[in-house]
Amino acid sequence: MTDDIITIEIDGRTLQARKGQTVIQVADEAGIHIPRFCYHKKLSVAANCRMCLVEMEKAPKPVAACATPVMAGMKIKTRSEQAREAQKGVMEFLLINHPLDCPICDQGGECELQDLALGYGKDVSRFTEAKRVVFDEDIGPLVSTDMTRCIHCTRCVRFGEEIAGLRELGATGRGENMRIGTYVKKAMASELSGNVIDVCPVGALNNKPYRFSARTWELSQHAVISPHDCVGSNFYLHTLRGKVQRAVPRENEAINETWLADRDRFSCHGIYSEQRIAQPQLKERGKWRKVSWDEAIEVTVERLQSVIASRGSETIGALISPSATLEEHYLFQCLLRGIGSSNIDHRLQQCDFSHDETMPVAPWLGMDLNAVENLQAVLIVGGNPRKDQPLLGHRLRKAALRGAAIMYVNHRAYDLNHLAEQYLAATCDDLVIQLAAIAKALMQKTNRAVPDALQGLLEQVEVDEQQKTIAENLHKADRALVLIGSQASLSPLYSYIVALSHCIASLASVSFGTIHIGANATGACLAGALPHRKVAGTADEQPGLSAHKMLQSARRAYLLFNVEPELEAWDTATAHRAMHEAEAIIAISNFASPTMREYADILLPLASFAETDGTYINAEGRWQSFTAAAKIQDDAQPGWKILRLLADRLNVSDLAFNSAAAISKVLREQCRNVVLNNTVANIKLPQHDFSAHNRRLQRIADIPIYSTDAVVRRSLPLQQTIDGMEADKASIHPQTAAEYKLETSEYVSVTQNGNTIEFSLQLNEAIPEGCIWIGLGVPGTEALGPAFGDIEVSAS
Amino acid sequence: MIEKVILDQQTVLPSEVLAKIDKHIAKFPPEHKRSAMIGALTVVQHFNKGYLTVALMDAVADYLDMPEIAVYEVASFYSMFETEEVGENSISVCTNVSCMLRGADAILHHIENRLGIQVGQSTEDGKFYLKQEEECLAACCNAPMMQINHEYYENLTPEKVDEILDQFK
Amino acid sequence: MKRRLISWLKSFFFWELFQGLRVTGRYFFARKFTIRFPEERTPKSPRYRGLHALRRYPNGEERCIACKLCEAVCPALAITIDSEEREDGTRRTTRYDIDLFKCVYCGFCEEACPVDAVVLTRFHDFHFEERGQQVIRKLDLLKLGDRFEEEIATDRQTESKYR
Repeated sequence: MTDDIITIEIDGRTLQARKGQTVIQVADEAGIHIPRFCYHKKLSVAANCRMCLVEMEKAPKPVAACATPVMAGMKIKTRSEQAREAQKGVMEFLLINHPLDCPICDQGGECELQDLALGYGKDVSRFTEAKRVVFDEDIGPLVSTDMTRCIHCTRCVRFGEEIAGLRELGATGRGENMRIGTYVKKAMASELSGNVIDVCPVGALNNKPYRFSARTWELSQHAVISPHDCVGSNFYLHTLRGKVQRAVPRENEAINETWLADRDRFSCHGIYSEQRIAQPQLKERGKWRKVSWDEAIEVTVERLQSVIASRGSETIGALISPSATLEEHYLFQCLLRGIGSSNIDHRLQQCDFSHDETMPVAPWLGMDLNAVENLQAVLIVGGNPRKDQPLLGHRLRKAALRGAAIMYVNHRAYDLNHLAEQYLAATCDDLVIQLAAIAKALMQKTNRAVPDALQGLLEQVEVDEQQKTIAENLHKADRALVLIGSQASLSPLYSYIVALSHCIASLASVSFGTIHIGANATGACLAGALPHRKVAGTADEQPGLSAHKMLQSARRAYLLFNVEPELEAWDTATAHRAMHEAEAIIAISNFASPTMREYADILLPLASFAETDGTYINAEGRWQSFTAAAKIQDDAQPGWKILRLLADRLNVSDLAFNSAAAISKVLREQCRNVVLNNTVANIKLPQHDFSAHNRRLQRIADIPIYSTDAVVRRSLPLQQTIDGMEADKASIHPQTAAEYKLETSEYVSVTQNGNTIEFSLQLNEAIPEGCIWIGLGVPGTEALGPAFGDIEVSAS
Repeated sequence: MIEKVILDQQTVLPSEVLAKIDKHIAKFPPEHKRSAMIGALTVVQHFNKGYLTVALMDAVADYLDMPEIAVYEVASFYSMFETEEVGENSISVCTNVSCMLRGADAILHHIENRLGIQVGQSTEDGKFYLKQEEECLAACCNAPMMQINHEYYENLTPEKVDEILDQFK
Repeated sequence: MKRRLISWLKSFFFWELFQGLRVTGRYFFARKFTIRFPEERTPKSPRYRGLHALRRYPNGEERCIACKLCEAVCPALAITIDSEEREDGTRRTTRYDIDLFKCVYCGFCEEACPVDAVVLTRFHDFHFEERGQQVIRKLDLLKLGDRFEEEIATDRQTESKYR
């Protein structure tokens, strides 16, 4: 490959460059700064700002560094008289129409135009005519617009087309009348739309929730890790006097590149919700009383001890959020096991635990994140990474653009931003049968054996052309992945999905990956926040009850760690009832909803993700630690401190850690020998009759993008997005709506388990016939029953 | 049992319009279907009596498999596309140098007086739209000239203009 | 030895006392240069840097746009500002505090202000009675601005050619 290396000279320095690189890329690598506005390393070259003009020897005019490929022996001068003259000329033109409103512009202080104007601008404008004024459009709750400031670099337009895969912004009109906008009034719908704020070199597109709340130079920057999905995006929280103001991405080529999902960027606006618990509180005769930490801990310990003394420790159930930190997971399970209960779980949305014994140590993507974009075929079962893990979705899109065959098997169709085949299964049985058929097609193709447990099922199913195509796509690809998405665990036949997906992957000899809901499901499993496994996957001799079981057979007391079971559990109605019937509910939580205040007895205020130290393990198995970014609100405490204190008072030994780092060090030591591996051996499957046909209307569910956890649910800007507003609607296929005479109804009454709730109805062809889709985790759905199952609907 | 999902799109374009668009599409390789956009927009604009609506542009975008905003960009860029409601017959009188020297201003005034509108306005009955022409229309050899519905009328005199306009009654 | 002897002898004749009385006597009859403050005041320069004020536009709209440049430039970190978007979409302060114990009256804030909102007035004889009163709030600053507006405006006018 030595032919590919050529030598060029920039500013007198001799540099090595690869053929096909542009001058600006070589200069950037060598640390030579060339001014630019429209060039962005992750976007295509537009060369329309002309700011990067440089002098090239033997060229009559200056050339644009971003659009000029390197040639052997090329001599570039970036700071010569001619280059400076050209750059200054361009700057003068750019400033003609740019308003002088830097003092009220949120970009002020981090503005590329402002920075370069200092070096290349004149102090007085020679332009005496009137400046252009552009009226602003409302493009949604996340991005504010001040389009008069726009310099038409088109970075945002190219971002939409190339990265988000959804061209929402465009340059309409021409000449002086050219403007960037949506042309028709509409809000941006992309889950990555916040990134236009970063790519915009001026203050035209800005962070709307953060608007006018601080200036860039007074913010302090703290590196943190995404607390919402298993990608583990790196980002910075910017704080002013200890309070979080906004989030901006932190570049990490291996994880989030330069991007950040809207959920990570705008969730921080939920931290200071009115429902945040300020102080420890006790419920006495139905009234809440604010108390000191000492008293709260004392009462907590008393309550737990009295339940243990009268009913035994196995009547205590403990639920922890999958997005809690690794340290919290570890201390939580140590504490519970220390007082003799193994009823610990973080998998609230799951209901089928029959394969627990044989499941791998922890869910794992099966490869590195940046390997995903080089895959040739991907089969995704139960999930839509575009909305569930937006930056994994971005990698998948890259793979699709490179020609990969992306296939989805889901309970509903999703609006995708890349080419893909989507296969629908109306019922959980259907989904399993489809997977079985794919496995069968592969079995016939490869003549390999399948596990005994699956043989019976495979004999029952028939293979059709489409399943053969999927099998063929997986079989012929050198690099392929079968991925169980994070929504699959909602299925009552999850163990079948795991067994069959694993079977498909091993028949096709491709990688197998599993991803779960929450930022730290992998960490939770390694830390032992499971009923049947302790730290690093060692089996618990006395396994406890899984999340679903401990809500079904109600416990006497529950310890809740930043969860809202009445929203997050698979069967919300059962969870809600269990909460009400329990003697003592101790909630260690960021927020207390009115519902939680009804059932809880003790509220212990927990520091939010921005206010605590911790570690997350992402889907690749990467350990990422971070420290607190913001000052703790009011009287809250970091989770690890609360748990340590409780452990101390409950006489659970060996948990006297002095820092989060000390805990993760101990854990790392214990997990030293754990190798993440998705192999599922000797899977135990529950008996299920696949021949029965249920003709009743079925509920199908998934967790909408902005309903995943407590902070996201309270982030107002996210809830006001299109995705946020559609989450609490019931969706139904027009055909099915006609069957139930609902075509004209705006609202419907939905009845499940004897509880009726009114929903606004949406006709949606993405939902299979015979089903109604209602999201899980959406406030207002507490009284409904399980995520999948029979449901009744009538017009209201 | 396995269904492929096809999300229906609303069509507002009648089949005869689509047939004309297909002729434009046929001129380009199938993967460059979007190159037929200008042709398609012209067809649709004539079909809709002189102007484009957002719904029509959306339909074109849908038919050519491209983002709606890309169609808006093209339609708003070229002066021959009208994105706001205007009169059915669009009149553009060239007033650039050659035509100006040969009396284009008089022609323009004549039309203005006859139709009772100024440049940039449409007649009340919605029959005519007197367009603000951007630049030379490239028929200097037979100046003065005008364009009605993108067709050329050259060597104009006020009498000839009256004759031509009468045809559009 | 000789000096000490002379000074011992002088002490019998109150020599220093008469020397002092001579100075007293001279000023007793000389022209007075003290004034009766606060009834009488010395003239002040239009550049005088006294107590701060926030100004308004003639239509009553406050000038300050919460750009926080004064906060950034303040060498004593005496200014604290919080801002938000007002209902009409403009950028405004919700809090504008100046800690007068920290302030060194350097006038940089006035210098930095792009809209001439924060100014130092000629007013200098102010006092506090309780702790905490040294932090002067936005509303009081605006009131000061209203009170001295005429004077502030003329001062800025006369000095405009030197700025």
